[in-house]
Amino acid sequence: MTAEEHELRELRSSVREFLETKSSEEAVRKLMESEPRFDPAVWAQACGQLRLAALALPEEYGGDGFGMVELGVVLEETGRALFCSPFFATVVLAAQTLLASGDARACARHLPGIAAGRTTAALAVAEDDGSWDPALVSARALPDGDGGWTVRGRKSFVVDGTTADLVLVVARTVAGPSLFAVDREATGLTAEPMDTLDATRAMARLTFDAVPATPVGADGAGGRVMAKVLDIASVGLAAEQAGGARRCLDTSTEYARTRHQFGRPIGSFQAVKHKCADMLVQVELAEASSREAARLAAEHDPAFPVAAAVAHACASRAYLYAATENIQVHGGIGFTWEHPAHLYFRRAKSSQLLLGGPAVYHERLLDRLGI
Amino acid sequence: MEQDMQDFADEARRFLNAHATKAPDRAALTWGVGDDSTAYFSSLPPEQEHEQVRRAREWQRIRYENGFGWITGPVEYGGRGLTFVHDLLYDAVESEYEVADTGVIGVVGLGMIGPTILAHAQPHLKDRWLPAMYRGDAIACQLFSEPGAGSDLASVSTRAVRQDDGDWLLNGQKVWTSVAQHSGIGLALTRTDPDAPKHRGITAFLVPMDTPGVEVRPLRQMTGGTDFNEVFLTDVRIPDDHRLGEVDGGWTVALTTLMNERATVGSEGAGPVAAALSPDHLSALMRATWTWDDRALRARLAELLVDVLATRHLNARALQGLRAGVAPGPEMSVSKLLHGQNLTRAAHFVSEVLGPRIIADTGQWGTYAWTELLLATPALRILGGTEEIMKNILAERVLGLPREPVTTAAKEVRP
Repeated sequence: MTAEEHELRELRSSVREFLETKSSEEAVRKLMESEPRFDPAVWAQACGQLRLAALALPEEYGGDGFGMVELGVVLEETGRALFCSPFFATVVLAAQTLLASGDARACARHLPGIAAGRTTAALAVAEDDGSWDPALVSARALPDGDGGWTVRGRKSFVVDGTTADLVLVVARTVAGPSLFAVDREATGLTAEPMDTLDATRAMARLTFDAVPATPVGADGAGGRVMAKVLDIASVGLAAEQAGGARRCLDTSTEYARTRHQFGRPIGSFQAVKHKCADMLVQVELAEASSREAARLAAEHDPAFPVAAAVAHACASRAYLYAATENIQVHGGIGFTWEHPAHLYFRRAKSSQLLLGGPAVYHERLLDRLGI
Repeated sequence: MEQDMQDFADEARRFLNAHATKAPDRAALTWGVGDDSTAYFSSLPPEQEHEQVRRAREWQRIRYENGFGWITGPVEYGGRGLTFVHDLLYDAVESEYEVADTGVIGVVGLGMIGPTILAHAQPHLKDRWLPAMYRGDAIACQLFSEPGAGSDLASVSTRAVRQDDGDWLLNGQKVWTSVAQHSGIGLALTRTDPDAPKHRGITAFLVPMDTPGVEVRPLRQMTGGTDFNEVFLTDVRIPDDHRLGEVDGGWTVALTTLMNERATVGSEGAGPVAAALSPDHLSALMRATWTWDDRALRARLAELLVDVLATRHLNARALQGLRAGVAPGPEMSVSKLLHGQNLTRAAHFVSEVLGPRIIADTGQWGTYAWTELLLATPALRILGGTEEIMKNILAERVLGLPREPVTTAAKEVRP
C-alpha cells in the first residue's frame, strides 16, 4: 500500500507539527543530557496518537500496512527535528530486521508490541571495530543442551541499547552468523551507555555473559538477513539525513537573508549566495536519491539495492556538507554551544559513519552494481 | 490512458521496426569493439559533418512523416497534439534502436527555438517555419550571445532600427552560435531602445539566414572543432512581421528560450557522452587498464557513480513532476550544473585511470579518444549560462536570497 501525494503531504505536516511542539531545540537539549535519552510520554503519544511505530508494519502484526515511502517521510521529519526517541532503532533497525528474517513466529511475538509502542528494540551487530559486516562478528551463540541457546560476547555502538526492551543480536554459530532475540531483563546481559559524538543518538556497549537467547530466522542466515537490513537501514538513514540537511539549508538561507554585515544582507554577497546554492544542489540530490530508493523498495524493484547504496552515500555527503557550511554561514555564532548548528554537525558526522562509512558504502555500491 | 499509451508504444515500435534496426544491448559492451568516440562537441572534417547533418535531416523527415517528429506540437502547425508523456515514451522506445543522431536539429532548434516561436510568433510565421523545422528542413540557431554579452544576455548591443517602410535594419555581431552554419533561421536578440533599462530595450526577431547581410564564420574552439560560429549582421533588413513579441519586449521571449535551454542541457541524453557516465563502460575501462583493484581508484569510481546515479534520480523525479503538469522552473539549473560537473569529474577520473595513455596517441582503442571529452569539459561550465550565473539563479529565485546590490556602473543602464 502506498499513499497518494496529498496523503504524504498530510503525513509530513502532521509529523512536523507534532515535532515542532514536542521536539523543540529546548526539548532536544534537555533530553540529550538525560537518561533515558527520550521522553517516554512523548514516545507514547507518537506511537498512540500518530501511530508512527505502526505505520510501516504489516497489518497482520498490528501495523498500518504502509511501506518505505511513508516511513521515509517520517524519517525526514525526525531527522529535521533531531527527535530524541527510540524510533530509528526500534522501527527501522529492529522491526525491519524481524521482517527481513522471515521468521513469522518472531514477528508475531515482537512486532505487535513494537507497533503499539509498548516495546522498544535495538539491533546489536557491530563490535569494537564498528563494522556491520556479519562475517566479522566474534560474539558466539552455543546450544545450552536443553534446546535453548546462550550468547557470549560484546557489542558496541548499539543504538538505544540501554533502554531497549528487546535486543536483536548477531552472533556466530557453527552454521555462521545468526540472529537471536534477547530480553533486556535476561540474566548475564549488561548495558552501559557510551559517550557519543552525537549526543542526540544514545549508544551502548552490551556485554553478553551466557545470556539465554531465542533464534530468529534460520541458523546461519544472519549474513543474508543483514544484507537486506543494511539496504533498508541505509535508505531510512538517508531519509533522516536528507531531512537534517534540508533543515541546515533552511537555517542558513534564513540567516543569510536577515543578517547584515558591511551594510547589506550577507546573502547578497556572491560567496555566501553560491555556498547556499551548493547546499541546495546537495540537498536536492539527497532528497531525490533517498525518496527514489524508498519508492523502489516499496515496489520491490530489482534496482533497489543499487539505489539504496546511492542514497546512503549521497545523503551522507549532503548532510555533512550542509551541516559544515551552515556553521560557516553563521560565522562565530555558529561555533557556539548555544547555537544548534553543532548538534546537526554532530549528527551528520555520526550518521555518515554509523553503518561503516564511505570506504564501506562505496564498496557496497560497486558490489551491488556487479563491479 | 494506460491503453492509449500501450497503443502509442506499439505504434512507435511498428514504425521503428519498419525504418530502423535494433541497437545492440548496451550492457553487452565489449572493450575494443565499436566506436570509441567520447565527443561532446563534434570535431569532424567538413565533408563528414555534412554527411552527418544530411542523415539527421533525413531521419527527422521520416519521423515527421510518420507522426513522431513533433509529438507534443499543436495539430494546426503539423504536430501530433499528444502529451509530454507520449514524447518521453517515444524517446524510451527509440533508444532501443540505431538511428541517426539528430542533435544538430533537436538541441537548439526543436528544443529551444521551436517552443519560443510557438509561444511568441505571429500565426503566419508559425505556419511558415514550424512544420519546416520539425520536418528537418529548417535548422534553427540562437543569435543571442555577443562578444560583450555572454551570460549577461541583457547587455546585447546588436542594433535594430526601424525604417520608414516599417522594416527593421539589424547591425551587429553574434558569437558562440551553435549550428549557425547549417541553419535556415536564427532567433536574434537586438537592442531597439538604448535609453531604456537594459532588460526593457530588447526586441526579438526571426532572421532567415539567407537574408543579405548575414555572414556566418566558423569559430574554432579549444577542442579543435568548429561547432560554434561568429555571425555578422550588416544592414540585414527584416520585415516587422518577423518580430517575436512586443517591440522592446524581447526579454520575455529570451526567457522562454533560456528556460528550455536549461531543461535541454541538463538532460543526459544518449550519444557518445552517455558511455562516459555508464558504470559498465567505466568498469570495463578499469579492467582493460589493470587498475581494477586499485582501492583509491575504486573509491573515486564509486563517488563518481553516486553523483551520476543520484542525478538520474533527480531528473526522474523532475520528469514525474513535469508529467503531473508542473512547469519547468529554476530547478532545471540544478540538473544543468550537475550534468556539467558529472561529465567533468568523469573525464578527470578516466584520465587518471588511463595515465600517460591519454597524453599521446598510441593507437589503442578507447584511450586517447577520451581527450575529446576532456577538452570539452571547460565549456560545460560556461555554455547555457555560466556556473556562477546558475548559482545566482538558484540562490535568488529558489532560496529567495537578496540580489547583488546594483553598482554605480550598472546604474547607468539600469536606473
